[in-house]
Amino acid sequence: MIRSEHNIVSYDFVKREVTPDRLMRVRDAVYLEAAQQCIEVYRQGVGRVRQELHHDVEDCLGSIAGCPPRRIAAFCKLLDDASEFAQSARKAAAFRKRVFELSSPLHPVVQHREGIFEHEQQAVRQHLATELKLTWEQIEDRLFDDVIELQKLKQCPDALSPELFLARYNLAQTQAVLYRATRVRVDVFAHAPYVIRQAKLAGLMHRVTRRGQGYRMILDGPASSLRETTRYGVGYAKLLPALLTCSDWLLMAEVLGPQNQTFSMKVSPEDRLSSETTPPTEFDSELEQKVADRWHRDPVADWRWERDREFLVQNQEVFTPDFTLTHVDGTKIYIEVVGYWTPEYLQEKQQRLAWFSTTGNESARWLLMLDRPPNETKNALLQSLRLPTVVISKGNGPEQWIRTALAKEQSGSESL
Amino acid sequence: MSQRIRSRIEIIEDPRQDCWLCDAMHAEPLRRLLREESVEVADAIESGLAESSLAIQAKRLPRLREDQQSAVEAFEEGGRRGLIVMPTGTGKTVVALSIVARAQTSTLVVVPVRDLMYQWHAKILEAFGIDAGLIGDGVHRVSPISVTTYDSAAIHMPRIGDRFNLIVFDEVHHLAGPWRSDAARMSVASARLGLTATLPTNTEKLTQLNLLVGKTLYQQSIDEASGKTLADYSIRRIAVHMDESETQAYRGYGKTIQQFVSKCREDNPKFQWDETYKLVADAKSNPQLAMAAGMALKAFRAKRKIEEQTRAKFRVLEDLFRLHAGSPVLVFTGSNVMARQISIRFLVPCLLSHCAKRERQDLLEGFGSGRYPVLVANRVLDEGVDLPMVKVAIVLGGMASTRQAIQRLGRVLRRSPSGEAAQFYEIVTDDSNEVQRSRDRRRNAAYKVSKRRSDS
Repeated sequence: MIRSEHNIVSYDFVKREVTPDRLMRVRDAVYLEAAQQCIEVYRQGVGRVRQELHHDVEDCLGSIAGCPPRRIAAFCKLLDDASEFAQSARKAAAFRKRVFELSSPLHPVVQHREGIFEHEQQAVRQHLATELKLTWEQIEDRLFDDVIELQKLKQCPDALSPELFLARYNLAQTQAVLYRATRVRVDVFAHAPYVIRQAKLAGLMHRVTRRGQGYRMILDGPASSLRETTRYGVGYAKLLPALLTCSDWLLMAEVLGPQNQTFSMKVSPEDRLSSETTPPTEFDSELEQKVADRWHRDPVADWRWERDREFLVQNQEVFTPDFTLTHVDGTKIYIEVVGYWTPEYLQEKQQRLAWFSTTGNESARWLLMLDRPPNETKNALLQSLRLPTVVISKGNGPEQWIRTALAKEQSGSESL
Repeated sequence: MSQRIRSRIEIIEDPRQDCWLCDAMHAEPLRRLLREESVEVADAIESGLAESSLAIQAKRLPRLREDQQSAVEAFEEGGRRGLIVMPTGTGKTVVALSIVARAQTSTLVVVPVRDLMYQWHAKILEAFGIDAGLIGDGVHRVSPISVTTYDSAAIHMPRIGDRFNLIVFDEVHHLAGPWRSDAARMSVASARLGLTATLPTNTEKLTQLNLLVGKTLYQQSIDEASGKTLADYSIRRIAVHMDESETQAYRGYGKTIQQFVSKCREDNPKFQWDETYKLVADAKSNPQLAMAAGMALKAFRAKRKIEEQTRAKFRVLEDLFRLHAGSPVLVFTGSNVMARQISIRFLVPCLLSHCAKRERQDLLEGFGSGRYPVLVANRVLDEGVDLPMVKVAIVLGGMASTRQAIQRLGRVLRRSPSGEAAQFYEIVTDDSNEVQRSRDRRRNAAYKVSKRRSDS
């Protein structure tokens, strides 16, 4: 990610919209070339200090007409992020201590000696060189090599292509606009639970409403109800790469602009941003895969089988049953697969299930699926839930599952 | 929530969690108002504040002077929410420490920079024998008495805001802007103390401080304080000249800038130099002008650099080091680069913002004990770092901000045990803008006092 002060945006004061800087491959071909040169500077630059590398990057970009200083700074930051610099803070501090302790008794260090307590610069340097067994040039070179701009490049960005670099740049500029966002709205169709999980990881709060085939989420933070705050901006920025891996989505951000006016920014797959985050996996576990496969082998007529479709929300808690079965008449069965477990895990799951199964959709049915018969502890916990349960085996299939779920007055299941 | 409460406290209904919501800073007033309305208050905060009464024993707290005593009383009589304004060097820290000692409650001290954080930690250890918690500089150790920086406080307050009953803002003028204000808003502390030498002159900022901390409860001006409690001091300004090659380069850059400005004025007679930054950034609409503006800006920076790092300054510095060899000399520079150059040239340590805790402590301690004859510093020493033994301070470059000048001066002026007079030098490059900045800087009370003194 880049810093806020590297952010380049244009404001449309009529439409109240903000658009971040984007370098597109075709239109900005010259930058593709420049990016290649910059990457080359770093590849050839192992052992050189940061400020020299930045200087060379500036040379690569400075000749491009219309290239603002912020873009140059952003390039430097992203190249730095993709590289590794020697971090020798402790060593450098110890080295300085040694040098200054050696030189302190010789203070003042003067160019031409006049008084008897003075020491000439050349002599002092020589003295230090002898004591430290280094040349003066080496001493000077090492004295401040932990200062950020004087750190030396250790590892260059090997696999970075100019195309990938520009993609990172475009993403980073969009993220930097989000730093100043006060509220974000996300519409998603698939992967809603994944997006919510990522939002929670980024420390955000959400309000979720159903909207046609998808969900609309308003994301903000605890203090957002009291005042417009950009406190959670970094959270929105962190969420964006995850969102980019989803297929169909729309993000609308309210962004604080000049004179504290609010501008909006719209981001969708049309912007052709990309991230290197791995997309959400289809299934959380092998067991889920197994259950899904089993259904698809013997699907039951009039029932629709969907994964991660339903989305139960209680204040800030979200529960997504692993699968939802929907009958043509609207009857729903939420299926939760309980595979690998520890007592704590099960306890937590049990509490959440208990809460959501009693406060959620009244008419919906629940079904727990186990991969093997439960032991005593597990059985006790499951019994207290009073939810229909089946153990997956060759002997049962989708039809039995539905029958078990719909059976009246459940207090466990016959298969237990 | 009753209308009465809503008219007094900014509290809203939050649909996200189906509850009422207000900033943590209103916790105490809200609790009081609710009790007045006989509402049963089930307080989750109180259990969070395990140490609401804390035994703090003042082991080694200096006796308060009369003015310090009145500051403490003014704070307590003023409802324990407010600002104390005292010039640098008059012992604000001692005032704060005795307020902490008398409050006997969990306390968070918020300071501007990391050096100060360690210094407060040391002072608390000395005064109370308590190893205070530290939040910041890569450390996160929260304990009933803790010290943190403004930025760390703003970051962590959502999680630690319920842990402290008293919050002390050192150099409270830093509590500005929406981000840093959160440090005050998100704390439930009912007692709030703000310390500063200079109140913001901007009314809006002052109102904000009054809201977040409290109103001004005690104020002492530098005129009242000087003589009584500050070390005697004198200021000497030394103008140096650029050598020939520097002058030439300097004039060359000056010409570039001039040509650029006059070209801009052809199109727009009202053009101001400040607008150049905008022109550079706006490369999209006028790339050619942006390029020219970029060149002018580069020339401007190069010119500044020559001004700041004039070779003659090193000669003067050499002479001053000679003159004051044997007594601790503090050197302030306008930039990190200059600080490092001085450090390399004279082989004396410099304290920069990148220095980690251990090195910083070694430098300050080593300088204090005479192990290091000189300490070069940039901004990191600008505020409140206590070095009473310094009797010679040299300022190179720097900006014309009143506040900075007062703070810098204050450091040298702290009362030393011996009561010796302090020497204050300012080295500026003549024939350049630095002279003007120095003139600006001297236009304030602190300098006026000194002028009166050196005249008499």
